[in-house]
Amino acid sequence: MSQQFTARRLAALAGASAVLVGLVGCSTPASEEEAPPSASGDATTAPVEPGDSTGVTEDTVTIGTHTPLTGPAAAGYSSISAAATAYFAYLNDNGGVHGRSIEYIVKDDGYNPSTTQTVVRELVQQDEVFAIVNGLGTPTHTAVLDFLNENEVPDLFVASGSTSWNLPEQYPFTFGYNADYVVEGAALAQYAADEHPDKKVCLLGQDDDFGDAMIEGAELVFGTGGLTHIERYSVSNQDVTAQIGALQAAGCEINLLATINGFTALALGTSAQFGWFPMWFSSSSGADYPTLVTYLGEDVGPQLLQGLVGTNYLPSLGSEDEWVTLFRQINEDYNDGAPFDGNTIYGMSVAYTFAEALAAAGEDPTRESLLAAVTSGGLTGNGIVPLSFSEDNHAAYLGVGITMVDQGVQDYLGATYAVEGGTVTAVEAAPIPLENDALPAG
Amino acid sequence: MDHLLFLIATGLARGAIFALFALSLVLIWRAARIINFAQGAMALVATYAAFAVTGMTGSYWAGLGAGILAGAAIGLGVERGLMRFTRDSHPLAGIIVAIGLVMVLQALLGIFFGQQHRPMHTPFSDSPLTVGGVPLLSPYDIFVLVVALAVMGGLALLFNRTSMGLQLRASAFSPEVSRVLGVRVSLMVTVGWMLSAAVAALAAMLLVPTELGLNPHSTDVLFVYAFTVAVVGGLDSPVGALLGGLVVGVAMTLVTGYLGATFAPIGVLVLLVVVLLVKPGGIFSMREARSA
Repeated sequence: MSQQFTARRLAALAGASAVLVGLVGCSTPASEEEAPPSASGDATTAPVEPGDSTGVTEDTVTIGTHTPLTGPAAAGYSSISAAATAYFAYLNDNGGVHGRSIEYIVKDDGYNPSTTQTVVRELVQQDEVFAIVNGLGTPTHTAVLDFLNENEVPDLFVASGSTSWNLPEQYPFTFGYNADYVVEGAALAQYAADEHPDKKVCLLGQDDDFGDAMIEGAELVFGTGGLTHIERYSVSNQDVTAQIGALQAAGCEINLLATINGFTALALGTSAQFGWFPMWFSSSSGADYPTLVTYLGEDVGPQLLQGLVGTNYLPSLGSEDEWVTLFRQINEDYNDGAPFDGNTIYGMSVAYTFAEALAAAGEDPTRESLLAAVTSGGLTGNGIVPLSFSEDNHAAYLGVGITMVDQGVQDYLGATYAVEGGTVTAVEAAPIPLENDALPAG
Repeated sequence: MDHLLFLIATGLARGAIFALFALSLVLIWRAARIINFAQGAMALVATYAAFAVTGMTGSYWAGLGAGILAGAAIGLGVERGLMRFTRDSHPLAGIIVAIGLVMVLQALLGIFFGQQHRPMHTPFSDSPLTVGGVPLLSPYDIFVLVVALAVMGGLALLFNRTSMGLQLRASAFSPEVSRVLGVRVSLMVTVGWMLSAAVAALAAMLLVPTELGLNPHSTDVLFVYAFTVAVVGGLDSPVGALLGGLVVGVAMTLVTGYLGATFAPIGVLVLLVVVLLVKPGGIFSMREARSA
């Protein structure tokens, strides 16, 4: 008995040591001599600042991201990094940027912040990426915000609408991508006030920053407490019957939605069960028509979604815009013809924006020149308004356009709103035209 | 008052599903003295089978039948292929194997069917019937309640009125003595697993159409709540599972309606903690000796 026990223990010990040895092997830096001089090195020696070119070689630039590929959040988001990867493959086949191809390392964090910390450390310390591009999620990315800024790694185009990415003083290396939720809430509320001035406006929101920020945006328009009724939901409970019942009882006529796609579908489906059909105004995070149809089903989806108002800032799926046509082609050629939806356009747009920044960073890009390119204000992106990056603004889009679903086609209505200094103003949309087949020349 | 009625009615149907799933956990506990953490994932595999059959035949009922059979088959496979080998070792071994099984099954479902949610349809209308101006239960909710009660009634008959039930109870309670008396204990354990997995599959198939749709994680939350229900009611007690399920379902809706959605999961956990502190065996637990 005791002998057997010892034998087992030995076996377990041997196994554990093998794993340990394997791990140690993995964490050894591949090549120390290749490590470039750090930006923090003594500046007295060189007349020209050498800059930090970690991740850049003669013919490659390596960048990385964290995103959920497995777990409950994967359903909504795993297609984004696939679309970005497809765009980079297209770009690389056409010569890359300044002759360098872009290697995009996608790490799965399962939308779990502690996993995000692990995979981002791997990307930075082991894979030695040049930059983190489009790390996805508010709770997940918040977990690595300090790490990336302490290590002076460019943290570009975070995939979330939180306002935390636009704090240039505190986090000089971090830049957002999504229009933030305050802007979206304000734009939807302003559109409601402009087009339907007498209707009762309510809000259904997620019980976190997402919902809070949308309420803040809506209250810029209606004033504090100006919404008729507010209900919150928790993602851990896929039953919103109680909330929908309360909204109906409050006599709401327009419901603003701070919901992710799945819960937009649940809200519309549940209220249809009650035979209640108010107007729905959804944040871009929960207003992707193809995704909503898959949730609701091909049979009833199109009918329930007729008239859904949303926001967007990227080329819209419904328009036969030249960006969309090109992205569709790239999706066919480089993404195995995966379903083409708002996430695909989003992923490719982010990837294009990074390529544009990299091209502008010069023949021999460094982390410093990359950041300088982003903050220069020279990047245009491919949205319906130009990118608004500058030294003191790290948010990509301060304006959004209003979209509507009509007969299964989701497209811009023309109304576009921007938020500056707490006031909402109507602005002209100025879509960026496609240039050089989305291959930034530099 | 209207609001209260509406919330209670909404909670009842959901509670019935929790109760059914909790009952499946009770069944396994009674048969094999194990808490099967893989129950949700196993039920999910069966639900995918039901989804496939419904897709091919166009019939909800064919899918439901196939799902129940698939559930029983998975129960058979897991018991004979995995759990049998953990029985004589440390009690934790079975739990750890079950948790590993969850990960494997969810990963496989993700690999083969993708992470997207697939809508499942209900055989009856989802629209609530309005009584005196208050929307109450929908025909589908009534269907769920009837099915849940019928299954529980059927199982009660099986356990208390048949020779098979007696053997099942005997081999769970005292395997050694039963074996001496000629009961085929290992067969009874397998039957217990099959019954339990089939009931769990049924509960999952009833729940998924009311939520976001079928996805490799559709039963995660169901398992957590049903586990709470089973512990609150007493792992040994089918009556506890039934009442516990209804109480938790209604309590969750009431908390959501009056306090906010954020508090609903917390409320359930508070209930769990209180019961564990005050009556660790569960509200409807049997004698001390049997819960050991």
